[in-house]
Amino acid sequence: MQQEDFKPGARTQMEWGFGGRRRWRDGALLMALFLGGIGAGQFVVSTWLIDSTKSALVGLLVVGVGKTVAHLVYLGQPTRFYRLFLRPKTSWISRGLIFMVVFVAFGAAYLAPDIGFDWVPWETGSTLSDVLLIGAILSAFLVMVYDGFVLLSCKSITAWNTALMPPLFFTYAVAGGTAMTYLTLIAMGSEIPNQDTLTTIDSVLLASMFALLVIYIMNMTTSTATARESLRKLTTTKVAIAFVGVAIIAGLLVPLSLTLYHEVATTETVASVLLAVSSILELSGDLSVRHSILRAGLHAPVFSEGL
Amino acid sequence: MPALVRWGMVIDLKRCTGCHTCTVACKAEHHTPPGVFWAKVVRVESGKYPTVIRQAVPLLCMHCKEPECEKVCPTGATKKKDDGTIIVDSKLCVGCRYCAVACPYGARCFTPEWKDYFTGDKKPSSQFAEYSKKKWLEESDRGVVSKCNFCEERVAEGKKPACVNACPTEARTFGDLDDPESEVSQLIKKRRGMQLHPEYGTDACVYYLPAR
Repeated sequence: MQQEDFKPGARTQMEWGFGGRRRWRDGALLMALFLGGIGAGQFVVSTWLIDSTKSALVGLLVVGVGKTVAHLVYLGQPTRFYRLFLRPKTSWISRGLIFMVVFVAFGAAYLAPDIGFDWVPWETGSTLSDVLLIGAILSAFLVMVYDGFVLLSCKSITAWNTALMPPLFFTYAVAGGTAMTYLTLIAMGSEIPNQDTLTTIDSVLLASMFALLVIYIMNMTTSTATARESLRKLTTTKVAIAFVGVAIIAGLLVPLSLTLYHEVATTETVASVLLAVSSILELSGDLSVRHSILRAGLHAPVFSEGL
Repeated sequence: MPALVRWGMVIDLKRCTGCHTCTVACKAEHHTPPGVFWAKVVRVESGKYPTVIRQAVPLLCMHCKEPECEKVCPTGATKKKDDGTIIVDSKLCVGCRYCAVACPYGARCFTPEWKDYFTGDKKPSSQFAEYSKKKWLEESDRGVVSKCNFCEERVAEGKKPACVNACPTEARTFGDLDDPESEVSQLIKKRRGMQLHPEYGTDACVYYLPAR
């Protein structure tokens, strides 16, 4: 028996994220949302900003394989997974999974000529290839943002039912994608093209994420009692280790300062190490902020005083 | 079953003593496994000193006219029947639990595995447990979501839901909300029956009569 079911007052949602009813297995959904965001973000950054086929392929695989496996691990009846696509008219999960399939299809078709599939009737740089790229990038944007809408649609969880969810998750996905791109290129020993532009974009994203989190917190302080209770959970309970410690300090403030320090690094090696550390911290922050928001999701009390 | 009914329930909070007979009756009727409570009772304190009361509030699926669960279900497993009852088709459910997260009333239960009530094992410990497991798996399944279905089989036979039948104080009344002369409609009108969280726009079919 879950004690939450019989308690009055705000109830913690126990279905999604680590610490749920099935412990680690419920965390697979968190990983699915995380991998979907950073993978799609990596594809967009790799194709749009730096034109790196290998990095784009990694991003595509993170979404196509990693996110898919995570979703299947989470489901109670994974053999029926095909049924998840049937209600795009009203269900954000259906829509999101359709976006994912469209993204993987367009992305794979775009990258096909460069990854050994010479028999495809289009070449990189051709008009059809450009159309495939545009389709892949647009569907990647949708993959990055849909999980914000999934949470936004839960009316009784005030901490989630805010218009800040989609932009917050989208920004984290782009930043996570940038971090994954850095790590992939460093791991491959490749040079990072347009590094200054990427670093500037990364700094802007980190600052934006910090601003969005501040707005999110301020919004909760002036919202319902349940939202304030969610905020208390985020900042004073065990969840605060993930939210304040990892998501904000380690995942935002430290990478922001490392990004600035990177400009004055004395050697290429030091610069690469700083970049790698910054990227790993950013990814940890991304995972932690998603975990914290899921853990702090409280349903409004079913009944109020005076009943 | 007559067409064009909208089944609903009225719960009189003045009569409810929090005895949990409805919880147990529901369990006995549907053989729900450990951790699955389609009907439950919570206790809440309300009022300010010196007029404080401790109130038992029965909770179940509200069978909303505008259900959030039906909208968010990606597989179509959650459906609204013609009589207004919301049901879950366990053969279609994939166990994503979007409905459980979206439901404002905490009405949905997820069963990862059937377990014996006394040993906690997956293997039944007695003949009755084996029977109970068989009945449960006929109605639901492992790895899917389940919830109150207003005892649709009992209602189809002209009986009342198990919780209504079992309540010793007759705190629960079941009937057709679309019939203005029905007992439920009369109670709602005369005793100012209210829905939980009407601001969500769910238009619940379970009404509560205030305790005072």
